[in-house]
Parts: sequence; structure tokens; C-alpha cells
Amino acid sequence: MRSQSFKKKPDRMKKRKRRENVVQQNQCRFCRSKTEYVDYKDTEVLGKLLTHRGKIFSRKRSGNCASCQRKVKLAIKRARFMGLLPFTS
Amino acid sequence: METVTKRLYEALFLIDSGEAAADWQGINDHLKKILERNEAQIVSMRKWDERPLAYPIMGKKRGTYIIIYFNADSAKLASIENDIRLSERILRVLILRGDHITKEDMEKDTPFEMAEKGIVKPVAGAAPVEVAEPADEEEEVVPPITDIDTK
Repeated sequence: MRSQSFKKKPDRMKKRKRRENVVQQNQCRFCRSKTEYVDYKDTEVLGKLLTHRGKIFSRKRSGNCASCQRKVKLAIKRARFMGLLPFTS
Repeated sequence: METVTKRLYEALFLIDSGEAAADWQGINDHLKKILERNEAQIVSMRKWDERPLAYPIMGKKRGTYIIIYFNADSAKLASIENDIRLSERILRVLILRGDHITKEDMEKDTPFEMAEKGIVKPVAGAAPVEVAEPADEEEEVVPPITDIDTK
């Protein structure tokens, strides 16, 4: 009996670890890196959030939270105005 | 009653590359003159980058960006913008409030300086951000969005 209960322990630990990982990934990419301000000049980051045609990815697609998506939207629109990112292509 | 507050602003100027290469000092003096005429104190002024534009602006395909951080009266900002609008040498400008900007942010290497130092390969060679590959490892279980654009 004792040996069985002993065997079960590591499994539980694994489950717990997995859960923690899931919780971490639930945050959006900007929340995870704790960026308060999305810079419009950072075209490398913003470029990843655009389709091949230059449209902004939806929240579902990009995985951003609502407030971060708003920040990204503003940043992309500023970058577009300055000719750093395309309106369309 | 009018309250005048001094604030830090961040301005990114877009200038035609050909003109910037021909008369770099002249362009810098031109920008300085516009700001100083309106009693703005320039904190830092640097070349941000030189790259092809995402779309042609005023028939120009390449642009040079100059970033300037300056302190100015909020009331004077309208006249600064007006002066910039009248200038033919400036293609575009974006002036934003820089309350969140720290000194380290201002001294951070610009893409141009990083390319010069050889830290990262120059972005200018590649077309303006050729929309990177969409898939990220973290974002699984999302249906492919192939048809959004073609519809």
C-alpha cells in the first residue's frame, strides 16, 4: 500500500506543473513581457501582428488581451502614418 | 486663465533620403531652427534610421527618419506643427507626448546606430517589414486565416 501511494506522488507534481504552465500562457504576449507602452517605432514586433496584406490580426489570432490589442492598434496606425508599416500591399 | 505647462515631447521627422544625404547639416539646422523659434529646448536629436518606405509618400520611396526629444510649452505645439506643415523639406512628422519616456529610452540605440555597430543586420536592405510569418509557438489551436484577405 505504502509503495503505491508513494508512486502516485510524482504524477501529481507533473499535473501541477502543467497547470502552472497553462496559466502562464494564458496571458497575452505583451502582458507576459510586462510592456506598458507599445512603441510604434518597433516595427519588428508590430510586423508580426499583420497579415501578408497588412491587415491587423484579430485578437483571436494574435492572442492579445483587450487592452494590449488597443495599444497595438494605436501603435500600428501610427507606424502606418509614418510609412513604417503598410496600409495595404 | 491660461495655464502653460512644459512637457517632454517625442517627434519623429520623415525626410527624403536624397535630400538628407545631400545636405545633412542643413536639414538638422532647419529642424533645430523650427523648434528653437518656438522656444523649445532640444534634449536629444539623432538620426533614427534610413529605410525604404512602406508606401510612396510625395513620390519618394526612401526616407530618413530623425528623432528629436524636446521640452516645449503645450501652447506652443500648435505653432510648431504649423511651421512644420509649411516646410517643404519635411515629408511627415509625428509629435507625441513623452511623459512615459525615461532617459534610458532616449539614449537607447536607434536602428541606424545598431546597424552601424553591427549588432543587428541592417533593416534597410529588406523591404519595409515584409510581414513576418504569422504562426507563433504559443498560439496553437487557431484556425488558419488564409482567406481573410482574398475575400
